[in-house]
Amino acid sequence: MSEVRLAAEPRTEFGKGAARRTRRAGKIPAVLYGHGSDPKHLALPALEFARVVREHGQNAVLTLDIDSAGSELALTKTVTTHPIKNYIEHVDLLLVKRGEKVTVDVPVVLTGEAAPGTLVTQEADSVQVEADALNIPEQFEVSVAGVQAGAQIHASDLSLPSGVTLVTPADHLLVVVAAAPTAAQMESTIDVEGAGVVEQASESGEAAAQG
Amino acid sequence: MLIPRKVKHRKQHSPQRSGAAKGGTRVTFGELGIQALEPAYVTNRQIESARIAITRHIRRGGKVWINIFPDRPLTKKPAETRMGSGKGSPEYWVANVKPGRVLFEMSFPNEAVAREALRRAIHKLPMKCRIVTREGGDF
Repeated sequence: MSEVRLAAEPRTEFGKGAARRTRRAGKIPAVLYGHGSDPKHLALPALEFARVVREHGQNAVLTLDIDSAGSELALTKTVTTHPIKNYIEHVDLLLVKRGEKVTVDVPVVLTGEAAPGTLVTQEADSVQVEADALNIPEQFEVSVAGVQAGAQIHASDLSLPSGVTLVTPADHLLVVVAAAPTAAQMESTIDVEGAGVVEQASESGEAAAQG
Repeated sequence: MLIPRKVKHRKQHSPQRSGAAKGGTRVTFGELGIQALEPAYVTNRQIESARIAITRHIRRGGKVWINIFPDRPLTKKPAETRMGSGKGSPEYWVANVKPGRVLFEMSFPNEAVAREALRRAIHKLPMKCRIVTREGGDF
């Protein structure tokens, strides 16, 4: 994963009003912390940071040029997005050093088409791995091409690049390939019709006393 | 239809309708989902109707997840009744849905068919919704 250089400004005012002013100015409120240092509050350029996340994924490593404070190497830890409007609301950045090992969540992406008559269910979106901060894999590809019903793919089945170790338990289930449900099975997925609502005894007794 | 098996209080106050969803805003189980864009009370009948719309369209070979549960009772007084005499009797069971909440998710090999099934399901729901994918949109 390549390093990306971004210009960041320190933030001096805090709270939701200030954060909204920052967003209106085309910037994203961010916080930089790690290695026991005091957190630094920053504002990142919104369009440029969005491009970085698009191109380098959620584990992008940034070289931040902070006004009058030199440059810092930072790993994107959490990107908070608006649930409906699809813009970045806030970013958490973690200070890293060159050669440092970091634990990150790397997305798992399925490729290929499973055998006909099967249904592929992805049980986990990502796996946790430990890797060099400057060599974090962007994603792990899992091929389900031609996989037959009844197959399971676990975290241990991933082919990891050298220098990357799995933190997620090896038996963590990633993908299940099952026989596609029949029409009858799909119709009977919910079968609680007629289940009566029973009020707890104390409440019903109270209600009867009031009545 | 979905209905709680046991409740602590048979009649409750009406659920708060303001605000946005705090969680459940991403597709996590399937490939595609229906996301609410407005607040609404979704009744168990509407949930069941939407589920049937999906399953009837895809017929077989897919999987549907329902992420909401109608656990809030709404009461109603009988028609032509004078005011007073206490709160009415429970009439509906609703899920209090806030904007951003993913209501249904589905997994199906053919995306075009899956989208059409979800589009039909949206017509059974009482608020504006959109179809979202697991990957999410670009920023």
